[in-house]
Amino acid sequence: MSLEIPVWPQELIKMVMNKDQCSIRLDGVTPVIENFSNFISISSAEDFIKSNILNIEVSESENIQRVNLILEDQSKNPINFEINLKLNECAKLEFLDESIYSIDSNIKLLTTLHKNSCFELYKLNSYKSENTNMFFHDCSLLENSSFKDYSFSNGSKENFSKTVINLNDINSKYLGSGVSINDSTNSNTEVEIRHNTKMASSDCYFKTVAKGSSKVNFDGTIFVDNHCSKTISNQVSKGLLIGKESKINLVPKLEIYNDDVECSHGAASGQPDKNTLFYLTSRGISKEDAEQIYVEGFLSEFFETIENNLMAEKAKNFINLNT
Amino acid sequence: MLEINNLNVSVEDNKILNNLSLSIKTGEVHAIMGPNGSGKSTIAHTLAGNPNYQVESGSISFNGKDLLDMEPTERSLDGLFLAFQYPIEIPGVTNASYLRQIMNSHRKHQGKDPIEAAAFLKLLKEKSAYLKIPFDMHSRFVNTGFSGGEKKKNEVLQMDLLDPKLIIMDETDSGLDVDALKVTADAINQMKSKNRSLVIVTHYLRLLEYIKPDYVHIFQNGQIIESGDSSLASRIDKDGYE
Repeated sequence: MSLEIPVWPQELIKMVMNKDQCSIRLDGVTPVIENFSNFISISSAEDFIKSNILNIEVSESENIQRVNLILEDQSKNPINFEINLKLNECAKLEFLDESIYSIDSNIKLLTTLHKNSCFELYKLNSYKSENTNMFFHDCSLLENSSFKDYSFSNGSKENFSKTVINLNDINSKYLGSGVSINDSTNSNTEVEIRHNTKMASSDCYFKTVAKGSSKVNFDGTIFVDNHCSKTISNQVSKGLLIGKESKINLVPKLEIYNDDVECSHGAASGQPDKNTLFYLTSRGISKEDAEQIYVEGFLSEFFETIENNLMAEKAKNFINLNT
Repeated sequence: MLEINNLNVSVEDNKILNNLSLSIKTGEVHAIMGPNGSGKSTIAHTLAGNPNYQVESGSISFNGKDLLDMEPTERSLDGLFLAFQYPIEIPGVTNASYLRQIMNSHRKHQGKDPIEAAAFLKLLKEKSAYLKIPFDMHSRFVNTGFSGGEKKKNEVLQMDLLDPKLIIMDETDSGLDVDALKVTADAINQMKSKNRSLVIVTHYLRLLEYIKPDYVHIFQNGQIIESGDSSLASRIDKDGYE
């Protein structure tokens, strides 16, 4: 007796494999939105075309939900849209954008994280040196919500990224890590963390490598309002100058109006340590490879902060490709 | 193997080596002793091509090649190895990946394929066991947070993996306890061969009691003021440099 193996419809297989996922494909003309998740509600492609606004709402689920933003053929129009993202109570979302931006872009993300929700944003973006690319993110966190924000980019002609974090309720947590690897490109990153409640915490790390004639600016502000006791906030920014004409400007700012806080900041930039490069070359490694090993070592501190193994691997690959 | 003639070297405009000449044949073991500031480390780093050391005049020939015309990378690939007195810490780079990279640089130069991960792991386990290096040290960043002894053993391990023709050891015995010194000295003795030369820079007799040098040179003011056999090291240990 022979058993007949059932042939499952491809569409069903796809749905099972992607059951917690939603993908947004953009080609500058017609967006394609595929939503296989029962816990993500998202605007239709038609509404998105009309308004240029994408509304995404995520509700409580056992598994972490995923949204992938995928930019495809971008030969026609600049990318310009807004995402309104809402995580309901106890919702969990991982948002991944690992697109290569080959035209100008202007993306605005407005996020609200309700009680006990968890949001992880991974942006691993390559840009072209001739383009202008802007990204604005305004995120409000309510009680016991958390936001892990990882951003990797390689700069462009004008690359501007501004993130405003509003810690509005107790026990809200923000962990932000940014890496900018520039090779004769420019990068401006602003991170403003506003502690508007007591007992919230934030950690912000920024590292940059500037090669060729790159110019990198980082402006990091920690604001703690006068009623916000028991605040914990740390900020570290470090820059590595590789190119003789490259410039790095790190500006940490603390505005603290409460005494009962633990806040720190540190900023440092400089060239690779000559003794380290000599040590590596004295072992038979070429000057170029020694520099690359040095840069990878400098940036790899971030891998340890990424708990998600797949994303940590993606971050490693991004750094390997761009250094 | 190595011919140093009338070498003058400065560091930040301070002259350290004064008309130094030294000849080392293949298979010989030379020890360099001398008080602090006499130029022992300067000759070690000059041979390895450290750009902080400026050669004012003189010549160095290494296996018939003009060493001073060679970059540090080339010197290493041609078989020169300096074991550092103060090994450099490289945060963010695991020791295992670093060791594999340095091995593969040499293999590439020799026209060999990169060593496969499994073969490398096996080799690393064998060498680490021999040197009594805890294997988890290799998952830590290069020399970062290593004890003094671990750093020195890591230098000897690199030496072993790269199989150099000329080894220069800059105070490898400093920072080693009695047991670690014996393990390290045993490993170095294993590497002694008729095809390889060693230059051991040291302050103390204890390492030279394990590794018997053919020649001992006493440095003072950037010059060799006396040379002799291994009994010279015993005399210095007993009477000092005065």
